[in-house]
Amino acid sequence: MNSRILKAIVKKDLKDIFRSKSLLTTLIIIPILFSVIIPAALVGSAVLFDLKEMAGNEAGKLIELFMAQVKDVRVPLETEEQKFVYIFINYLLPSLFLLVPIITASTVAANSFVGEKERRTLESLLFSPVSIKTLFVSKVIASFFPSFLVSLISFILSGVVINGLGYLLFGMMIFPSANWLVLILCLSPMVTLMTVLLNVLISSRVKTYQEAQNIGGVIILPVVGMMAGQASGLFLVGAPIMLLISLAILIINAILLQRITKYNDRFVLFEKQIH
Amino acid sequence: MNPMIEVVGVSKAFGSQTVLRDVNFKVEPGEILGLLGPNGAGKTTFLRILNGVIKPESGSISILGYNPVENGDEIRKFSGVVTESAGLYHQMSGEENLAFFAELYGVKNKRKIPELLRLFDLEEHKGKAVGTYSTGMKKRLALGKALLHEPKLLFLDEPTNGLDPDGIKMVLSYLKKYNKDTGTTMIICSHVLHQLESICDSFAFLENQTIVEQGTKNELERKYIHEVIVKINTNFAPTEVHLLGFPCKSTGENTVIFTLPTKETIPSLLQELLKKNAVYSVEIMNNDLESIYFKVREKINE
Repeated sequence: MNSRILKAIVKKDLKDIFRSKSLLTTLIIIPILFSVIIPAALVGSAVLFDLKEMAGNEAGKLIELFMAQVKDVRVPLETEEQKFVYIFINYLLPSLFLLVPIITASTVAANSFVGEKERRTLESLLFSPVSIKTLFVSKVIASFFPSFLVSLISFILSGVVINGLGYLLFGMMIFPSANWLVLILCLSPMVTLMTVLLNVLISSRVKTYQEAQNIGGVIILPVVGMMAGQASGLFLVGAPIMLLISLAILIINAILLQRITKYNDRFVLFEKQIH
Repeated sequence: MNPMIEVVGVSKAFGSQTVLRDVNFKVEPGEILGLLGPNGAGKTTFLRILNGVIKPESGSISILGYNPVENGDEIRKFSGVVTESAGLYHQMSGEENLAFFAELYGVKNKRKIPELLRLFDLEEHKGKAVGTYSTGMKKRLALGKALLHEPKLLFLDEPTNGLDPDGIKMVLSYLKKYNKDTGTTMIICSHVLHQLESICDSFAFLENQTIVEQGTKNELERKYIHEVIVKINTNFAPTEVHLLGFPCKSTGENTVIFTLPTKETIPSLLQELLKKNAVYSVEIMNNDLESIYFKVREKINE
């Protein structure tokens, strides 16, 4: 693999993100929505309103159902508001937060090959002495790096909002918990990488960016399933399960990476995308 | 001397559609070869096969001893390509495009980029996004991109498409000069025959999915032009239908058309005419590339 070429392609792709208004908008709006607006609205409503009165007995029962599954709590959970915020921050928000790397990585990675094809520049890349491995690895890095950075910034923003508003409720910092640390250090990077690998692979096969986004959107389904499972009280995904899921995704990523390098040669890419 | 490119029995099909069959082809080092053929004849596919981005079904190819299927990157390191679509990044400036491709090709000479921008008259526009360039400017930049790493071999697919007459003249005269100065071998695909006539050393005709003929203009002329039609601007007014046994006819004021068996008979005809008449100009009407092209096609499709 040629590191000079790799750097040149990554640099060009990263600059392109800042040149594309639609990509840049996605990279700004998604983190603000998931790490500022949603946590601020929910923690803020717990601070400002009487949730027990607003939500009624059924909501109270659901919170108790969650609480029965929660172990090893290190923050005071005396009021309904504290319990609600604790459950929301540690169990429901992480699933929602995973949508940040998924949406940003999908948007950037789906553009990787098919974007070059649509701009008629893929031909120039394939006519140059760039190995296919270098090309794929460059595209993966150029998609992974901004998505991971956006996740980190989102994590910090979430922390500021949650601790800022949560302090009024708990009288202490409640963020980051073990769940969040496992999420940001293990699960989020693994999910980002998987999203990037899948979308780069899809992008190297489909004819349009729209098509790449439509197919790549399927990756969101397991996360939606996890969110629905948690929200219904069916199960709660804590730090140990998150670690196990991260490990499973790591294995999937290794397989994907191997498949990508094995099944993509210049001839296949050229005939699928250019001819 | 070994040929720069040697192709033997190459065939290619996309699904059930045969694009090339049993192609045999040779290019000598330092030569400018015009690859001619109607639209859809397979010229672009053939260039792509030579560049190692499309895999042929059968046959063998050697480019300076390298096989494009197995050693494509080696060939791509010493060859430059100008595609029909130019293949430039429209969101990047002209200078950024050259800088990016210079990295891909490992160009170390930092003066190469300003040199090429100046050479192709793009210095003033180097900071503008390529998307704002005219077609001619894009073509010139694409040519600059292809020459960044001083290739030994240039593949040019319709390099003058979309250019105005000044642009065509500039690009073609530059290519000829570059070939003379550096000895770079060039293959130019085009269907605009008169443009290639003056710059190519030899021609290959792609027809019915294969190379049906290849040679220098003189070789092709000898093979396909069996009578020479000469237009002479003279004050000679023919009174008979023959002069020195050659058929002739007046086609207007001071213009006589002769039909000769070979062009070697022109001097004796002129000597005879000049004995009693003035001769202002002599022009062979049917030995241009276009006439040869149609003769070749005629023969193949017989």
